[in-house]
Amino acid sequence: MEFLRRALNPWGEDVPIGVSWDLIWAAVIIGAVFVVVHALMVPKKVATGEIDESEAKGLPEKLQRHTVGARGFHWSMSATMFALLITAFFPVIGIQFPWVTIHWIAGVLLILTVIYHIYHVFAKQDFWTMWIDRRDVEEGKLGLKAALGQSDAERPRAGKYPVDQKMFHHVAMIATLGAVVTGILMMFRIDNFLLPMNTYMFSDATWGWIYVIHGVCGIGLIFLVIAHVYFAIRPEKRWMTWSMINGWIDRDRYLENHDPARWTVDGSSQRAEAEGD
Amino acid sequence: MAVIRDMIAPFELYQPAGVDDAVRLMDQYGDEGWVLAGGLDTFDWFKDRIKRPAAVIDLAAVDEIRGIAEGGDGGLDIGAMTSLTAVAEHADVQSRYPLLAEAAGLVATPQIRNQGTLGGNIVQDTRCWYYRSGWPCYRAGGNICYASTRRAMNREHCIMGADRCVAVNPSDTAPALVALDAEMVVASSSGERTYAAADFFIGPDIDIERMTVLEPGDLLTRIVLPAPREGARWYFEKIRDRKSWDFSLVTVASMLQVQGGVIQDARVVVNSIAPYPVRMGAVEAAIRGREPSEETGQMAGEIAVEGARALRHNDYKIALTRNLVKRSIRDAA
Amino acid sequence: MLDAEIIQSRRGGFTRRKFIKGVIAAGATASAAGYLFRSSGVLAPMLSAQGAVERLVTLNVNGQQRRVDVPKHETLAMTLRYQLGLTGTKLGCDRAECGACTVLLDGVTHYGCSILTHTVRGREVTTIEGLEDDGVLHPVQQAVIDEGGFQCAFCAPGFVMSMVGMLDKNPAPTREEAAVLLSGNLCRCGDYDKILNTAMRAAELSRSRA
Repeated sequence: MEFLRRALNPWGEDVPIGVSWDLIWAAVIIGAVFVVVHALMVPKKVATGEIDESEAKGLPEKLQRHTVGARGFHWSMSATMFALLITAFFPVIGIQFPWVTIHWIAGVLLILTVIYHIYHVFAKQDFWTMWIDRRDVEEGKLGLKAALGQSDAERPRAGKYPVDQKMFHHVAMIATLGAVVTGILMMFRIDNFLLPMNTYMFSDATWGWIYVIHGVCGIGLIFLVIAHVYFAIRPEKRWMTWSMINGWIDRDRYLENHDPARWTVDGSSQRAEAEGD
Repeated sequence: MAVIRDMIAPFELYQPAGVDDAVRLMDQYGDEGWVLAGGLDTFDWFKDRIKRPAAVIDLAAVDEIRGIAEGGDGGLDIGAMTSLTAVAEHADVQSRYPLLAEAAGLVATPQIRNQGTLGGNIVQDTRCWYYRSGWPCYRAGGNICYASTRRAMNREHCIMGADRCVAVNPSDTAPALVALDAEMVVASSSGERTYAAADFFIGPDIDIERMTVLEPGDLLTRIVLPAPREGARWYFEKIRDRKSWDFSLVTVASMLQVQGGVIQDARVVVNSIAPYPVRMGAVEAAIRGREPSEETGQMAGEIAVEGARALRHNDYKIALTRNLVKRSIRDAA
Repeated sequence: MLDAEIIQSRRGGFTRRKFIKGVIAAGATASAAGYLFRSSGVLAPMLSAQGAVERLVTLNVNGQQRRVDVPKHETLAMTLRYQLGLTGTKLGCDRAECGACTVLLDGVTHYGCSILTHTVRGREVTTIEGLEDDGVLHPVQQAVIDEGGFQCAFCAPGFVMSMVGMLDKNPAPTREEAAVLLSGNLCRCGDYDKILNTAMRAAELSRSRA
């Protein structure tokens, strides 16, 4: 297996021209192995049902986890992401169709979606809810021990986002931004009405690395999407998946999985303040 | 253009005696195998050492796909290994498919027509010199088209159908066969498939590394011509810089079904303006029900070049296409 | 290795099978075996597959049976010039463009630079050396002398072979038809007018001899 596709350019220089397509299968296989191993090793966590009734006081039955804007972003991103991955990799593995135009238009839509997300995060949401702090690290350590079956370990309740979701977000963010930035540059190499053709912006080697980064990010996203979809359909996480569709979670799930001190939703805010978090 | 590097690199040579054996060898070697028919496309690649297959499968002894026979339903069945001379000079081809006889007779030079095959002429690779110089362009698996960069020399390149790659299909017989509604019979280890000639060629938007539907292991074996249409008029014109040897700049092939002075049905196909022979569907629809006159031709020519986009050095091809399509309707006989 | 069943003559009559057995009997296997051992272990078993060719071939050149050891990737022009010493066939462009390498295969003109020697096994190869018949020049050769047809004459052997092929096809061409039939050859001296004079004279001589 090779990692790079290389070629001799007209000046006889050995330059990279892209990532090896073997890695597509590597990503698919690693994703499948990850899913199988995880499904076998981590038992479905049974809901404890132990809810501290005092915490439930004053909370509505349904608590909003994702705003309409956030959900809109998520599904817009997932639609464009699927379009991008399908148009990128299906032709390579033999399902051929005219893909370039769909690919770059989907890429432009993804960029618009990401821009909206960045605006939304800074203007409407709390940027720090996705930040990994010391409590997240602790949560992650204990969560991992609990998942691996260490009897005494119990996973502490999370903030708005569990630490694994935060980590997924950051890795997906890096891969997406990598693909977006290189993708914008690659638009200078194809015929489109947004950017003028200019193949002379960089040297062949630099262009090659841009293609490599685009490919690595894209192939990384194959794995990330496999993992993300797998967790979304796991039975004990479906309440979270539903919240990405309808926006809310019910009170019991909230209290069971989230620390009201770390994630304050409407109705619990007064008490959180009173406790002087 | 091409750097003359050396003698041909060594390879294993097979001369199978039948299609089955050939296909088996092609399967065995996959990407590492190379099918040799007339060799006029092959040896440039080999001498430049750009293509270095492990095995060459020479079809010279596959007699079952050489020759012209009566097909079913009053058509003709032409083996892919039939030489272009044999096609051009065959009495039945001349009398029933003069369009194909003319096209085959205008390929390259007498020697090349004696040696080159109809199948080879159909499936030949593009002549874009950036590609054939062995540069890592899209068609060679790379990530750039050297022929569409700002300073590129692209006088012979395409005016439509481009998708990153701007190379053209150079075949003279391909547009004739599309205009004749021919069928291409393809053998592989999984059996025989048949394609309409128009579907046999694919553009870079679908696969930037191939000109036709053929994949490693596929062998074009026969070209099946349907029975000639009664009273069909035809036109073929190949424009090239030299009257001999040269590849076409623009080639037009048309078949018109005229009854009562009115065009009932038409096939208008232009090659060397796109990475595949372009069947001008809009033109065919527009001229149906009209007289094959100067005016109809004029209109057809305008429609033919709608959406055409010239590169830096090939805008002449737009005018050429417009005029050739006009002639192919006005002067069809 | 020598699966004789599959090595058949392309044109009936002469069987390759017999010939190869004959060569083996003569103990001349060294070359083929040497090739085998040089090739990779992967390729060796494949050699027994259908249709693999042997390097030792007999070529029918100018009416003679010539035994020769031909690499599989060698072109006919190379074999003629450098193995059989028939240097009358020229290599100009080596790209099927100039026609200097034109030879006849079963009487039909081909570019010798662009056909594998192995492909012409069993076919009659005629080069310019084979035109003369018992000291009598071929009408085309005589016409070249009569008309002083060429200037530097590097292209001459190719043109002559093309003219022979042309007369076989069209014994009485017009000057225009001759130009078309000879359009697969180039003359860098630009001597086409005299070359066409030669072609017309050759046709005349050919007809008068027949």
